[in-house]
Amino acid sequence: MILDLHTHSIKSDDGRAKVENYCQWIRSKEMPIDGFVLTEHRQHDFESDYSSLAAKHGLVILKGSEVETEYGHVLVFGVTESLTQAFDFSSINLSLESVIETCEAHGAVAVPCHPGRPRVGMFAHTEELGVPNGVKIVEIFNGGSRDNEDQIAIDNAENLGYQGIGGSDSHIVSHIGRCGTAFTNDINEMADLVSALQAGEFKAINFKH
Amino acid sequence: MAIKKLDEVEFGVDLPTFIPDTSLAITTEFAKLIGWNAPRFTDHEAAKKEGLAGAMAPGVLSQGYLVAMIHNWAPVAEVLAVDTIFRAPVIADEAHTITGVVTDIDEENAKVEIDLTVANEKGETRVFGTATVK
Repeated sequence: MILDLHTHSIKSDDGRAKVENYCQWIRSKEMPIDGFVLTEHRQHDFESDYSSLAAKHGLVILKGSEVETEYGHVLVFGVTESLTQAFDFSSINLSLESVIETCEAHGAVAVPCHPGRPRVGMFAHTEELGVPNGVKIVEIFNGGSRDNEDQIAIDNAENLGYQGIGGSDSHIVSHIGRCGTAFTNDINEMADLVSALQAGEFKAINFKH
Repeated sequence: MAIKKLDEVEFGVDLPTFIPDTSLAITTEFAKLIGWNAPRFTDHEAAKKEGLAGAMAPGVLSQGYLVAMIHNWAPVAEVLAVDTIFRAPVIADEAHTITGVVTDIDEENAKVEIDLTVANEKGETRVFGTATVK
């Protein structure tokens, strides 16, 4: 099955998409994805319950987060109440190594996203700050990438032995599903996703034309 | 093709693609008209010295093109809001395309929401946003 692992809704400050419209879009356009993960900026949305929407449209809808570190932005999958108390999700200057270590301690997975992007991508900082410890997975296909940002991500991931995921980084409805991640096994809840990521059983997919 | 009534509109319908004139002559003229007479809008070499890839179209010019696109499609529509996120500069003298698609229909209030994307020739999103029309 294929999930878009990087999407934003109106819960994010720069997100303009309603989750219901994402579902309508995926189904009306017959997109080849089975669901998506909402990764709102600098927060985790514990409140929203999308289970009825997911059931209505036959889609998997999960919730993660996107936090900000000195190496750029990082997706977090498997967020729990205790993890949100372990570091400040709203901070814009977290330590990447600390985020990765803390996520692992709480059974979550941290994935630097759009790492080939200037300023907010990990590989824009490795020359100055060094290669951070603990990274195992990076986002190699991002729907919002420009120029050679995806290629920088792919090349560096290969050199450093990282695995790659894909996500659209959609902020408006029609941008969802530009990239995705294929999984060998079914993913029905966040624990399934975290297990699959930890086991390395996935492959990034680019649907951009 | 222009529509006569918004209640004819369906979810997922594409607006006709709009090709904005982003020539340096236009961006320069527009920048001067609105008092943004900075070299970054009027001079490729000066813009490059500021770290840009070339002179850029003022953001409000892009927003104007978005509204023009909507009115070309629906001349009767009242544009209630255009909400834009500027991800990268729209570089003058480079070809751009604006696409729009209906992504929400509020039948009760007779409003339609449209996703808008300004992309360059490589298909890279430079500006995106939504418009609410009635």
